[in-house]
Amino acid sequence: MRLLNRCISTLVITLLFTVSVAAQTNCNASLSGRVIDEHDGSALFYATVYIKELERGVASDSNGNYRIEDLCEGTYTVQCSHVGCETITTQLEIKGATAHNFTPEHHAKELSAATVVGTKDRDEVRLVCPTEIIRLEEVQLTGTPLGEQLKQVNGMTTLSTGNSIAKPVLHGMHSNRLLILNNGVRLEGQQWGTEHGPEIDPFTAAEFRVITGANSVRYGPDAIAGVIQINPRPLRATPGWDGAVELAGFSNGRQGVVSARLDGQVKQLPGLSWRGQGTYKRGGNVETPNYFLKNTGSEELDFSWAARYQANQWNVEAYYSQFNTKLGVFSAAHIGNLSDLQRAFEADEPLESSEFSYDIARPWQEVEHELFKVKSTLQQGENGNLSITYARQYNRRLEYDKDEPLNDSLAALNLPELELKLTTHTGDVVWEHQWQKHLRGEMGFSALYQENTYDGRLFIPNFEKYGAGLFLLERWQSDSSRWSFGAGARLDYITQEVYLRKGNNIVSPDYSYVQPSGNLGAEYTVNERIQVVANLGTAWRPPNVSELYSNGLHHGAASVEFGDTSLVAETAYSLSLGAGYTHKKVYVRLDGYYTYFDNFIFLKPTLPPTLTIRGAFPTFRYEQVQAVLRGVDATVRLPLNNQFTLESKASLLRAWNQSTSEYLILMPADRVESSLKFVLPGKLGNGFNFISLTGERVFKQSRVPANSDFVAPPKGYNLVHFYAGFYFGAEEARMQCGLTVTNLFNTTYRDYLNRFRYYADDMGRNISLKLLIPFTFLTNHEND
Amino acid sequence: MKTTNLLNQTIFLFLLIGLLAACKKDDDGASTPPDNSNEGELITTLSLTFVDTGGTHPNVTATFRDSDGGGGNTPTQFDTIRLADSTTYSVTILLLNESRTPADTISNEVLDEGDEHLFCFSPSGINLTVVNSDSDGTFGIGLQSTWTTTNASNGTVQIELKHQPGIKDGTCAPGETDVQVNFVTEIL
Repeated sequence: MRLLNRCISTLVITLLFTVSVAAQTNCNASLSGRVIDEHDGSALFYATVYIKELERGVASDSNGNYRIEDLCEGTYTVQCSHVGCETITTQLEIKGATAHNFTPEHHAKELSAATVVGTKDRDEVRLVCPTEIIRLEEVQLTGTPLGEQLKQVNGMTTLSTGNSIAKPVLHGMHSNRLLILNNGVRLEGQQWGTEHGPEIDPFTAAEFRVITGANSVRYGPDAIAGVIQINPRPLRATPGWDGAVELAGFSNGRQGVVSARLDGQVKQLPGLSWRGQGTYKRGGNVETPNYFLKNTGSEELDFSWAARYQANQWNVEAYYSQFNTKLGVFSAAHIGNLSDLQRAFEADEPLESSEFSYDIARPWQEVEHELFKVKSTLQQGENGNLSITYARQYNRRLEYDKDEPLNDSLAALNLPELELKLTTHTGDVVWEHQWQKHLRGEMGFSALYQENTYDGRLFIPNFEKYGAGLFLLERWQSDSSRWSFGAGARLDYITQEVYLRKGNNIVSPDYSYVQPSGNLGAEYTVNERIQVVANLGTAWRPPNVSELYSNGLHHGAASVEFGDTSLVAETAYSLSLGAGYTHKKVYVRLDGYYTYFDNFIFLKPTLPPTLTIRGAFPTFRYEQVQAVLRGVDATVRLPLNNQFTLESKASLLRAWNQSTSEYLILMPADRVESSLKFVLPGKLGNGFNFISLTGERVFKQSRVPANSDFVAPPKGYNLVHFYAGFYFGAEEARMQCGLTVTNLFNTTYRDYLNRFRYYADDMGRNISLKLLIPFTFLTNHEND
Repeated sequence: MKTTNLLNQTIFLFLLIGLLAACKKDDDGASTPPDNSNEGELITTLSLTFVDTGGTHPNVTATFRDSDGGGGNTPTQFDTIRLADSTTYSVTILLLNESRTPADTISNEVLDEGDEHLFCFSPSGINLTVVNSDSDGTFGIGLQSTWTTTNASNGTVQIELKHQPGIKDGTCAPGETDVQVNFVTEIL
């Protein structure tokens, strides 16, 4: 009966449509509106609005706006889809300038990462690359460092320095081989340092997006392993206010975090949206299963604001964020020479013991990072969008050694032993365009100016860097084809001028690089369940100034490092393949990658050791070799019944130095992980409330080059973690509560990629409780 | 009225934005790198002076010098200690930072903070005993020491300076190593 009804109505609509087309040839109608999140009214960008009959579609812009012009009047089937949301299909009568807003509903809230193999869902004009998106449901905003949170992405690990510094590592690559985009701007900090974490407050983000594979084309150099995008939640698209307070407490280190945000759109001045946000964090000495780690406290204060004015066909947005942190450096890890290192390693416990304390003493580091961004976008409907972005970043890093200077007058000044200041200006002009129905693209120009100065100990010299890049990328996609393709090309020019004192003179050698990069991708939808993606890309990076000019003792690493001014650019050629299977709630994903490096830059141990007044130190020189990094990441999610879901992940990596036929040093070990999630049944569950147990196995890294490390890599380890998430209250103002216990059994272990593995065990059990309390002031509560 | 209020609020908002965005300025440009006068402290030179307490044998000096600190160029001077047999020497240690002009005498600073520093001497394969002859009030420091030789022999003497703030107990175990030089030593 229903089927018959539907048939008749379809027939009637089709007839009406035909009649209306025949009767009037008014084809100047348009459809426009906004795509808005059902829950919080925020704009949904990159949602696709598609007219089935005409096979025409557009994507909503960053403000959720969409517009389709030159339509013949009539009734159409319009679909709106957005990643993570149910697709809306609706019949719309289009007459003149028709307005229609879509409010897609999220899929049942998944607390795990949302993943897409390709880019089809988002209609984003990107190359076809395996992509993984973590949409942060607020319970996940844990207050842990950014790198730790990114570990949810399979293939992602961290290179840590104790507990507070965690650099994200993707497929064994980090620092200058993994590009971080903070709110659309290349993060420019002292990224070359392995003990320098990303200078970003994770509480500013609403989603993390990890695009794997060499991808210099869109964002320029450094995107060798891939790109991490840290995207804030879109500003409000509707008048009113909303906001939230987040609180988190951690047992280990007795750390507390408070973060708050307030969003609004001015009712009397439609189009003006704004946000203020801030985070404060304080923690003391962390604890391993057997002892406290002396001087491992930290303090962080961050704030940001954003404002946007949306006019009819253009908008302008401004963003400012400031990140300030002070980190204690574990005292026992600061050593004078190799004998100290040997003694530290042989001791069962660190040679300097400690009780709990919030105090941060020498050695410590202080980092400040500012980002100011202005972006203006001209929205030309189907002609595309033209955007201009300017951003300034200022990064200041202070490092205080363990000991004050012996000289009293110097000590009284209490100056940092090392101060680095990096100022970066970037500008981008991008035109998003649509050539024809199925071919969309982006072209643009980007420019960079950077200046680095130092005070105190010479570690890297002063330099200035100029960069310019020109790119074009296109994507062909049609709903009538199972295939979709992407291709892109880019040309970059970079020059670095270094300033050094030679006696009384200043010399300024400069280093220039011109390099093309390219990308080719294809995506094939086998059927509703299976999708396959392949991507071939190149990426490159110039050697950074520390690789050219390091010259001296690296405290803490107990090594003498020498740069090489004859280094050339490092180029990577990478092939990535991804396959995904989704059916009901079963999810399988397999990603493989093969990256060939021409002139891979790394620190190679060399003989003889360097003799200094502190004794002999191992010597390392920056060298370039041909190398191959290849690996596989696999994820399987299997619902056992309505309540239980089993998820398993595995990540393998092989990193090979072809020039000398040995493994590369400091690569993450193979790892597997399994979790069992239990969604509480009935009323107790609300459909969301859950508890889960995760077991993690990290194998020993046995693939290391001979004679390259002071001690053998630590043995493998197993950890168990517990998570629980609960939601209270009505949907629009739902309070969220998360309980997490990491290292549930207080296991003693050391990780190969923790730089403090020579000196101490890793962190013990850590129980944390997180609360998110939203407050929503509705428009009608405003005092008019 | 409302509009004026709104305008005021908007102006206030933008002023606030301007204030918050007031970026910090760099004082020095990259093109003028700092000279090394504000570089952290460096010990470039360890010099030993041996005086025969009996007054028979001539004075001996031995020096380790690495003028540009760790890394950079290799040490420019690394003497062998040559001592007479069956002799007692009074030994003075001088530490210098010769990367500056004039050179800093680091050993004076070590003396000032005598209760945080300790020199340790470890003869190896050689007929020699070394004892500290100065004191911080409780324990020795080692800037002054007494070296007593017996029969002719060849070996090494390792000289270490340990920094032991608050943890000095008269032994060499605690603390961080500031100096570690292994002199080839001959007793003739």
